[in-house]
Amino acid sequence: MKCDYCEIIEQPNHTEILYEDKDLFIIVKDMVITPGQITIVPKAHHPIVEMLPHPIMEKCALLANKVSMALFDIMGGGTNILIQNGLAGGQKVPHFAIEIIPRKENDTLPLQWPSKQLGEADLESTYSLYQEELHREKKQPDQTSSSTTDAKLLESSEKPSEKKQESKKEKIKTDSYLLKSVNRLP
Amino acid sequence: MPELTEDQRKALEEKIKNMSPAELAELQKQQCIFCQIIAGKIPSKKLHEDDTSLGILDINPAAKGHILLMPKQHYAIMPQMPDEIITHLFTVAQTLSQLQLRALKATGTNLFVANGPEAGQRAQHFLLHIIPRREGDKLLEVEEKMLDKQYQKSIHTSVQPRLYELLGLKLEKPTEPSLSQPKTQQPQPKQQDQIPIEPSPAKSPSPQPAAKRPSKEDVSLDDIANLFK
Repeated sequence: MKCDYCEIIEQPNHTEILYEDKDLFIIVKDMVITPGQITIVPKAHHPIVEMLPHPIMEKCALLANKVSMALFDIMGGGTNILIQNGLAGGQKVPHFAIEIIPRKENDTLPLQWPSKQLGEADLESTYSLYQEELHREKKQPDQTSSSTTDAKLLESSEKPSEKKQESKKEKIKTDSYLLKSVNRLP
Repeated sequence: MPELTEDQRKALEEKIKNMSPAELAELQKQQCIFCQIIAGKIPSKKLHEDDTSLGILDINPAAKGHILLMPKQHYAIMPQMPDEIITHLFTVAQTLSQLQLRALKATGTNLFVANGPEAGQRAQHFLLHIIPRREGDKLLEVEEKMLDKQYQKSIHTSVQPRLYELLGLKLEKPTEPSLSQPKTQQPQPKQQDQIPIEPSPAKSPSPQPAAKRPSKEDVSLDDIANLFK
């Protein structure tokens, strides 16, 4: 299976491109949740949020804001900015993207949720799961500063995904990105 | 908030009109539940805190473990926020999304922003939602529809000039007709060599020598990425 977004990047003439630079595309897709939806797609193939290098995320976020402002001006109403991460997160293409979705009052798009009323016990148990994980990350010997532990963990996962770019296209199907890179480490 | 009577509302409007920007900001803060949380006046379960942002557990979540990430400064919507706050929140969100995958064994996440009440925004304080997802949880079940080619083009034509204006770029006509628009004189962006928005170098340190810990949890990211096969 070829990645749909990599295909667009290779053959951009078949898509409506609003903007392009060395890092990313801003496009009008033909499959959308609602008309007016705009998509920001980094050129490099990073499947999920956790694999995306921070600088690319920063750039995508700033451009998402600009696209959102443009939609406000042109269509009125509001906007949603949505990242679908992982199959369970509704992601259709295994290539990170940000969707900017114009909204109108009573448009009935299912982009809302009924709030769950959680009891203190439920909250506490979820919180302790998070705390355990954060604690475990802090205890890792190769992590130095505790306040930036999370960020460092993520940075360390950037390198593998960047390495991966070189040979990404043929290997998307079967390879386990991080595992491969992990194997290369001492 | 309780309903105000007509007189009370008028008095309040009058009061607000005469306030200085600093006083207004202060009033906004007092009215905003998230500013109260940030100030520590309302207790919360904190998962991330730094100088400019706070991430807490949502007590009325879409799903168990739903995180609200917010700027400490009061902004109602994203367009009001300075660039460095936006970039910071989104990169912190990356780490919190990863935390959800690991701590909750979630198999996906959503990063979600609602700008304006039409978009479902309920709080007056900008929030970046990070929602843990599982197959079949029936959240945000959006369906995609095929967009008519003409419609797709008209969106392109109407959005592009404004977007370029906002980016401070000039829209130039193509030197050759492009394949996607064989007959129209639609302007095409000239490929930019210089990008208008560069991520700040201070915030993007060169990657550390990859020190990925080969613990069993590490496969989770791959598992999630590989589900697409």
